[in-house]
Amino acid sequence: MTQPIDTSIYSAVTEAIQAEARRILSEGLVTAIVGYTPARRKGSAQPIVISQAVEAAKLVFSAACVNNLAVYLTKAKKEIPKSGRIGIVVKGCDLKALVGLMGESQLKREDLYLIGVPCVGVLASTIQPDTALTSDTIAPKCGECDAHLPVGCDFVPPQQPFTPELDKKYANEIARLEALTPSERWAYWKEQFSKCIKCYACRQVCPFCFCEQCLCDRNKPQMVETTPRPAGNTAWHIVRAMHLAGRCAGCAECERVCPMDIPLNLLNRKMAKELKELYDYEAGFEVNEKGPLVSYEEKDDQSFIK
Amino acid sequence: MQKYISQQNLNILLDKLIAAGKRVVAPRLNAGTLLYEPLTSSGEWAQQAAPLPRRSGKEAFFPLCEDIMSYEKEGQQVTVTDIDPARFPETVLVGVRPCDAAAVPVLDAVFSWDYKDQFFLERRRKTTIIGLACTSGDDACFCTAVGLAPDETKGSDLFLTPVEGGGYACETFSEKGDALVANHQELFAEPNNSKALPLAAPQIEKFDLKKVKAWLDDHFEDPAWDSIATRCVGCGACAFVCPACHCFDIVDEGTEKSGKRRKNWDACGFWKFTHHASGHNPRDQQPKRYRNRIMHKFKYYDDKFGQTLCTGCGRCIRLCPVGIDIAAIVEDISKK
Repeated sequence: MTQPIDTSIYSAVTEAIQAEARRILSEGLVTAIVGYTPARRKGSAQPIVISQAVEAAKLVFSAACVNNLAVYLTKAKKEIPKSGRIGIVVKGCDLKALVGLMGESQLKREDLYLIGVPCVGVLASTIQPDTALTSDTIAPKCGECDAHLPVGCDFVPPQQPFTPELDKKYANEIARLEALTPSERWAYWKEQFSKCIKCYACRQVCPFCFCEQCLCDRNKPQMVETTPRPAGNTAWHIVRAMHLAGRCAGCAECERVCPMDIPLNLLNRKMAKELKELYDYEAGFEVNEKGPLVSYEEKDDQSFIK
Repeated sequence: MQKYISQQNLNILLDKLIAAGKRVVAPRLNAGTLLYEPLTSSGEWAQQAAPLPRRSGKEAFFPLCEDIMSYEKEGQQVTVTDIDPARFPETVLVGVRPCDAAAVPVLDAVFSWDYKDQFFLERRRKTTIIGLACTSGDDACFCTAVGLAPDETKGSDLFLTPVEGGGYACETFSEKGDALVANHQELFAEPNNSKALPLAAPQIEKFDLKKVKAWLDDHFEDPAWDSIATRCVGCGACAFVCPACHCFDIVDEGTEKSGKRRKNWDACGFWKFTHHASGHNPRDQQPKRYRNRIMHKFKYYDDKFGQTLCTGCGRCIRLCPVGIDIAAIVEDISKK
């Protein structure tokens, strides 16, 4: 049954973001702010970088503000000026990526001014941007969100987000896949990976894909076939899932942007589930320089050594 | 030649073509994603699904990945085997949207210019295109802004316009189209007076493409490129879903014993696209790469071939991860 989701707080949230952006830019607290602005298509929004107080009026928050803007603060995005303190508009899910980047010494907390968003959810990738937010049109990740109200920001508008209980699509789908036999599961992923066209949108939007040169772009020696064919596609997505294990906090940008509808976040959620079960670890909640896959303790689970 | 064909007879036509061993490619749902794919029966043609397949029709001539040569080494003996384009199947491309069909003659220019690309041209020679008018669209569609229309017939050998009461008004535009009708004339009727269903109506005003080009001629360096594309994340989604983008990369893959040379789609949005062996990259920042996308479509291709390399399908707008809207950009340029 379709449940409506009340997004009425977003207009007050927008006003609060604009006022705070105007203040911190005019007081010189930040050199620039990464946020969202309305775009041409009805109801749509896109990322924007502003550096003048008068531009604060361009900022917006709505259910079409789907991007994880944290990607712009990584060293991979050289085009965004990194001098001085930068303001950034973050949903709870985006904040987890920033926390991870701080843990990996990519960002310093004191270089950021975090404008947190009370978020009831955003639209799924296949939905026209002017569509009302409902249990049917909401992004799947929002059904499993535990961070509607970001914690530890420099500023959060006072509105309280309320999102009804929704289907846990990833948890349900992971349970379905876990119940399959290994060969059935392999057949499922083989079909999914066969759709990949190697546009690398998944990599380019990922806040954790900040390598100076991706292993998969190397040709001396070539590590992964670059052709969009089953062998190279499978290697690419599995290499990426492994590299994100213990790091990905579930912004699901990879899955949102995939032009071929490959359910990439399922791989990342499955890895996160393993990390939780094996090490009682969840990425994105605290700045942690020693995640479970880069440290060793005697009490670590060793049952996988056979 | 003008005719009428009922939906039922059109399905019979496709099934006959399939039975005759032709490759019939049409919009088909593949696990929920609409793609131009070979059909095993006319029932697989997803006519009611969203108007545009996720990827364009170009791959019927210019596949995402194709082998162009293979090699084998045994002892000191090396055998190199070329791909024989004569083996490409006769194909009928059905239900092609006007923005996709119109891109094909645009691509002819570059693939038959100084170097004749036999892979593209042989497939082109063997393919009949059945275009289909659009009766719905969304606010990313802008075919009319680049001088085309929801019932544009450019590129189609046979064009179908849905009419009231069902079925299609048909018109042929080439010998291939005439031959298709002549070979199956029992399935076609004389044109009746049924009115065409209302067409889609893209909202963006027609661009002054001359004015756009004139601005591009003089503004290779301009601060606008930064404001347009600083947010571009550098993926290839726009180019890969585009009916007109046609850059490719050639790679050798395999072992010392055997392997293949392959031709894959490439994209000017990629950092690696202009990365030189020396380590230098002349397009060292994303706005310079995005500038190339606009320049190639609205200036370079016009300089070289007198055509625009964009048919207004809007796929890049719908699928850009960061909402870069080529229609809004070109509209802005045309008002500068």
